[in-house]
Amino acid sequence: MWFFRSPQVVFGDEALSYLSSLPIRRAAIITDRYLLGTELPERVRGALPEGAESLVVGDVSAEPPLSEMTAHLEKVRGFSPDWFVAVGGGSSIDTAKILFALHERPDLTVYDITPLVQLGLRTKSRLIAVPTTSGTGSECTWAAVLSEENEKRKHELASPEILPDYAILDPSLVVSLPPEQTRNTAADAIAHAVEAYGSTWHNPFSDAMAEKALELISENIEGVIRDPWGLGPRGQVHIGASMAGLSFSNSQIGLVHALGHSLGATFKLPHGKAVGLLLPYVVDFNYDACPERYDRLNMLIPPKYRGRRLSGSLRSLLGMMGVARTVRDAGVEEPAYASSMDALVTLALESTGMVTNPKDSGSEDLRNIFIKAFDGD
Amino acid sequence: MAGARTARVRPRLSPFMIGVRSDALVKMARFPSEEWTKLYAEKLNANKSYEDAGKNWEGAITFVVQKDSALDKDAFIYLDLYHGKCRDAKFSLTESDLPTPEYKYAGPYGNWRKLINKEIDPIQGLLTGKFKLQGSMMKIMRFTKAAKEMVNTTASVQTES
Repeated sequence: MWFFRSPQVVFGDEALSYLSSLPIRRAAIITDRYLLGTELPERVRGALPEGAESLVVGDVSAEPPLSEMTAHLEKVRGFSPDWFVAVGGGSSIDTAKILFALHERPDLTVYDITPLVQLGLRTKSRLIAVPTTSGTGSECTWAAVLSEENEKRKHELASPEILPDYAILDPSLVVSLPPEQTRNTAADAIAHAVEAYGSTWHNPFSDAMAEKALELISENIEGVIRDPWGLGPRGQVHIGASMAGLSFSNSQIGLVHALGHSLGATFKLPHGKAVGLLLPYVVDFNYDACPERYDRLNMLIPPKYRGRRLSGSLRSLLGMMGVARTVRDAGVEEPAYASSMDALVTLALESTGMVTNPKDSGSEDLRNIFIKAFDGD
Repeated sequence: MAGARTARVRPRLSPFMIGVRSDALVKMARFPSEEWTKLYAEKLNANKSYEDAGKNWEGAITFVVQKDSALDKDAFIYLDLYHGKCRDAKFSLTESDLPTPEYKYAGPYGNWRKLINKEIDPIQGLLTGKFKLQGSMMKIMRFTKAAKEMVNTTASVQTES
């Protein structure tokens, strides 16, 4: 027995206008500091049903730390929303998921957000995710990531009950995404599709999502990089990223994310940058555990980037996107990397991504991948 | 070629296996039982993957085998786990005879049999309600790999069918 879980997905031109058809009376709009200075929060506010009141919580940090939640939560509780509307990338959406859960159940802590605890949410409110990046897939997943500043750790929280009720994929909301975020988030989405497909928990539903996601992203990302304002390719990559989110949400992540969370938390690298650079190394490591599956994925990469093996094809595709090829390229200095190696390995070993990776691995395997990824093969 | 020559060499036998058919040495035990518990602890202590994944773990866990149509009494397997090793293992049909564990992993006997036969993934078993876990989720979420190795080790114990 297993499940396929998904929000209702509203996609395409003017998808944002769907908000006006929902029975929203009091909306808590959760967004980040960068977007607060743009027109997007106002566009969302303007799309709410007539007469709906709104509160903007607009100071979500990138890779939000646990310590931030208390202040956000006080604002939200004072407003008593009946809907949470997350507007932004993974940080805003993940924060909204956590605030939604803690607003519903004030007796819980973030650590109670696990799939093994029945939370009993949705007695007071609902959750909508409006992504403004194409990559984290958070709008379609039941996971949330929180940073722990003191421990240089990322907490992987998960519960089917924090899956958004609606995901609204409006391509006009992503055309202004800066180039670096475009490439990092797309790399994250590609990693989601590849990890979901290789996962030991893969299933026909997650496979279908992963295959189509990789096809849509790899065929359109070059067009997005060439013409960021082109709605066509942007829309396809946006849909592909959400499908990649659905794929891993229903089959789980693997070693790329285990290593990537560790690397990102330790050296403050953006998540997409960390997983993008690690992906080909992990695919090389995993290859003999699932050669047919990786070969099948390889055939979905456009011929101009396709090599003999998936790892080579990914290197070509990610290289065209401008994703760092090595940890050194990503700006990490060798002495700091070497002195952090034990901590990097320990953090990665504690990730849930270790459980469903296609190839079983231990500390030495993780260390070897980290070492290879520093300067490349 | 050195590789080809090596491939023809007979596998080296352990001192305990010389002259004895390897299958004659296999110990089997009924599940759940005291014998099975001891064999499981031996297998767990020999499992390098568990040792690696559980090297920072401190805490005891009890496997609760709940009665069903094929088992007429609940059974309890207590494991004292510390830094990748099992320091103590106890079996009882009475839970109060055992020390209080930090965690309990519980499921009906029929589901345990499926787990031992690798027909159920231990984590998916939890997520689909075939097993229940009691204890601090915050701590155990950092040790999912160790938990998986623990449950996988059940499959390596030769269990009477």
